[in-house]
Amino acid sequence: MAQAQNKTWDDAAEGPRIPRIELDFTYSRVVWGAIASMDLFPGHHEKEYAERQGQETIYVNTMVYQGWIDRVVTDWAGPASFVIKRKMTMRRAVYAGSIMYGEGVVTRRYRDEQGRTVVDIDIDVGDADGSCCPAKVTALLDVAPRSL
Amino acid sequence: MSTGSSQDKEEGGANFAQAAIGTYEEGLKFVGVKSEVHVADFDITQFMAQFYAGSIADANPGYWDEDYAREQWGGLIASSGLLSTVSKTMPWRPDGATVRKSIVFLVPLPGDSTINSSSETEFFRPLKVGDRLSSYDEIAAISPEKTTRLGTGHFVNVVTTYHNQNGDVIAKNTNSVFRFKMADKD
Repeated sequence: MAQAQNKTWDDAAEGPRIPRIELDFTYSRVVWGAIASMDLFPGHHEKEYAERQGQETIYVNTMVYQGWIDRVVTDWAGPASFVIKRKMTMRRAVYAGSIMYGEGVVTRRYRDEQGRTVVDIDIDVGDADGSCCPAKVTALLDVAPRSL
Repeated sequence: MSTGSSQDKEEGGANFAQAAIGTYEEGLKFVGVKSEVHVADFDITQFMAQFYAGSIADANPGYWDEDYAREQWGGLIASSGLLSTVSKTMPWRPDGATVRKSIVFLVPLPGDSTINSSSETEFFRPLKVGDRLSSYDEIAAISPEKTTRLGTGHFVNVVTTYHNQNGDVIAKNTNSVFRFKMADKD
């Protein structure tokens, strides 16, 4: 498997937008993510339940947002990057049948006390109607092999 | 202060709708309560890591390429998005499932429905295939009554600390969960 290039200090200037990722969250994919994360909460597979909650239909579950947010970072920074802090806020649901996107911008680049390259990234996750789940992430870049 | 109540054994499968019902004042007595340490029912497997990565079309070679993963992380890893999943119990077992209700359901509050509103997680090392996690929950805070689009209820902050089988801290997660009454639809 080809290895993506790993971003380092010089590649991670503050400001430029991190490339957007997108995926079609069909009903099957929403249920796939819920099952893959062992989430049997009915809001992720039972339309009538979701409607009784005031939602339009079944919706993407929390653990899928978490992996999706990390994917925004690692697709951009490469597989030797590692998210060390993730704060997310679910403003509204992404419903089955939506194209979900994720994108971000580096807001701060610095070195920690161990000299490792650290970036803070504002990430937005949403659908055709806009933002659904903004997140703030802190990630290590180009982590030394077997150091974690 | 701690309680073993999150370890209650019950017959049958998980039931997501059965939250303890009570007043806000009764709920506040649970702030600071910790669950016992819970050991996951299963190890993290390559299947889990890759089936989940596939659900979000994530090609990170740490999840898929054993040679790369061994070099970089010491072995295949799983997305940190699986953190809470790999700490779950099986939803059914022949000897009766151990239902590990989230501690948020054990707090007496007026609302019987829940939805996650936000979470903040610190990660200290990646999840590795072969790891078996242990974790415990603590109720950190309960908000006064608030009304949102979904209904009226309380935000409950739960902090969960995760270890691997070697005692290394993997992560600490703070979840804010809205416990609310569903609005009637007539």
